[in-house]
Amino acid sequence: MKTRRTTLPAVLLSMAALVSVPCLAKDSPREAALRAAEIRRFEANVNADARALGELLDEGLEYVHSNGELDSKKSFIDSLTSGRRDYASTAADIETIRILGDVAVIRGTARVTVIDAGTTRELHIGYTDVWVWKNNRWQMTAWRSARLPDSPVK
Amino acid sequence: MNARSRLTLFTLLFVMTALPAVAAAPARGDEASARGAVLARFDAALHADAAALERLLADDLDYCNFRGDCETKRQYIDAVKSGSLKYKSIEPTVERVKLFVDTAAVTGRVRVTATRDGLERTIHASYLAVLAWRDGRWQLTSWSSTLLELQPVS
Repeated sequence: MKTRRTTLPAVLLSMAALVSVPCLAKDSPREAALRAAEIRRFEANVNADARALGELLDEGLEYVHSNGELDSKKSFIDSLTSGRRDYASTAADIETIRILGDVAVIRGTARVTVIDAGTTRELHIGYTDVWVWKNNRWQMTAWRSARLPDSPVK
Repeated sequence: MNARSRLTLFTLLFVMTALPAVAAAPARGDEASARGAVLARFDAALHADAAALERLLADDLDYCNFRGDCETKRQYIDAVKSGSLKYKSIEPTVERVKLFVDTAAVTGRVRVTATRDGLERTIHASYLAVLAWRDGRWQLTSWSSTLLELQPVS
């Protein structure tokens, strides 16, 4: 687990969470837990925190990056711990959370700086992710993102 | 025939006529019907079949295209009906169905040629469809896609 860049992303994520305070006020406990899990997951990406990701990602995860690359849970975590993919920062804004029984869908946008195999990319993406309530916690089982028209890297 | 015999006969006839109807309407959606619902939605979109789309799309649909633009059910159906979104061909594959209690996450790839506001494009995308089992059928409640290739035609 790397620790060198925790402060800035943590601040950005906290700011994004604060913007959503009016929504937080009416969150059910499960919705609040999901919002916290999503924020923790983005932090875990930046910190390459394999232990946190191990808890937050479902074994059957299908993670399709905005360039179309597909990762499983294992290959996603491996790409971060090996340093092949390095999320330098993520500022995420959760727009909607919908809970459908044991499944939830989150939609949001994020500004991401990622160093991918040595190349730094600045991305502005719209994303949808699907979470499932399993073993008494939320786990992300699917991720899709689209590069927004104003994304620095199209 | 006495009253008791008439009651027995009536009950028997009722059970015989009601049972096939009960058997024909599955109480819960399964993997095959989720796959079928996703393919039926592609077909309805291709044929601009608004009535079929009304049945196949959930009222709370969040439809996010490959550019990250999101529409409601009403906006999507209106675009298809008015012809501002016109599909020329859709070639889908369903790769995986994850079945939850009353929800399914279906993923796959699709090659689409469509005209949107006069601009024709062929895209190849990876999609994530979330279906909710409501009123005895699967309804699409979330759609998002990630571009794999983009080929402007005109």
